[in-house]
Amino acid sequence: MRRAQAGDAAAYRVLLDDVAGRMRRLVRRRAPWLQPSDVEDLVQDILLSLHQSRSTWDPERPFLPWIVAVARSRLADNARRYVRRTTINVAASDLAETFCDMRTNTNAENVVNQLSVQKAMQGLTKTEKQAVELLRLREMTLAEAAAASGSTIAALKVAMHRAKLKMKAKLWKDDTP
Amino acid sequence: MTQGETHSTATDALIARLAQDARPVRPLPHPARRMLAWAAVALLFGMAMVWAIGPRPDLAARLGDGRFLLEQGAALATGLAAAVAALSMTVPGASPLLRLLPVAPGAVWVGTLSVGCLRDWWRLGPEGLQITPDPACLFYIALIGSLPALVLLSMLRRGVPLAPRWTTLLAALAAAGLGNFALRFFHMEDAALMVLVWQVGSVALLAALAGLAGRVLLPWSARPVI
Repeated sequence: MRRAQAGDAAAYRVLLDDVAGRMRRLVRRRAPWLQPSDVEDLVQDILLSLHQSRSTWDPERPFLPWIVAVARSRLADNARRYVRRTTINVAASDLAETFCDMRTNTNAENVVNQLSVQKAMQGLTKTEKQAVELLRLREMTLAEAAAASGSTIAALKVAMHRAKLKMKAKLWKDDTP
Repeated sequence: MTQGETHSTATDALIARLAQDARPVRPLPHPARRMLAWAAVALLFGMAMVWAIGPRPDLAARLGDGRFLLEQGAALATGLAAAVAALSMTVPGASPLLRLLPVAPGAVWVGTLSVGCLRDWWRLGPEGLQITPDPACLFYIALIGSLPALVLLSMLRRGVPLAPRWTTLLAALAAAGLGNFALRFFHMEDAALMVLVWQVGSVALLAALAGLAGRVLLPWSARPVI
């Protein structure tokens, strides 16, 4: 990690490989009910978090407690989100029986929404635009989008993440009076 | 290729991409050193505010009063301890007990004021424990604490939001504690109960509100995954 902090890409890659293996085992042990794809998503999230927070590791302190603390925090955060989403899904499953299943958006609202999305996409790079178009507008899976664009799943994830942040910032800015 | 293998390949691709982005990073200094840098900014801003508003006319006499000095010392120590605790909370692997750092100076602060309340009651009877509205305290503490709070928040965002609510609560306690420390150099209010209710109360209220907004103020920037 010390060499990774100094910018040594090869050492960093070895470290990330090792961390990925350890985190895969940790996640499987902590949440044995998760599907392999969910385990990998969590491992990827921990790796991204490690990357974002690598400046907080003090070279004078051991590395393992540091990465375990980061991983535990990500696991707890994702568990909270998972529970919240499950609760909403369960609640929403009753709504169709309780409320009238009418369309909520008028045609005019759909047009306005589409225009807002188009406007928010103006600040995106070519790669980010492509990620939004394939993953969100055409609703492709990551694997399908990667095949269609000739890119990788990881690159698409990163591009989508960046696009989402930019679009969110743009839409909030436009929404603020 | 199974779904698990597809994702494992995706993890390998992510690792390759992150390794490509391995720019050198400077490790963050120790939380105590970062706190000193923050305290310098916060105290300078506090002094500037005291100078702008105008120090109280009896300040020289107050600076010779042991009780005033003890209360001020405890308020300052509470703020500084809370700042170290907040900064430590964003370092993975740091002891969770560090969040209790401001408890001891905070207890001295509240304890000194509580003893002051008893003394006022003993000296003046029920009149010594009168509470009159003084909302200016909340305003001034929030005003003087605003810039230090923003600076501390930006410093905290360089760390990891492991316990965002605790972190923002402690950060607001630090900023408001120093705000209260500066306030007493220009605000003529020394009745212990008034200080306890309106000043310590304002600090506690601001800290509690910041604690509630912890997840909004210190979000994880990594995307949700499941």
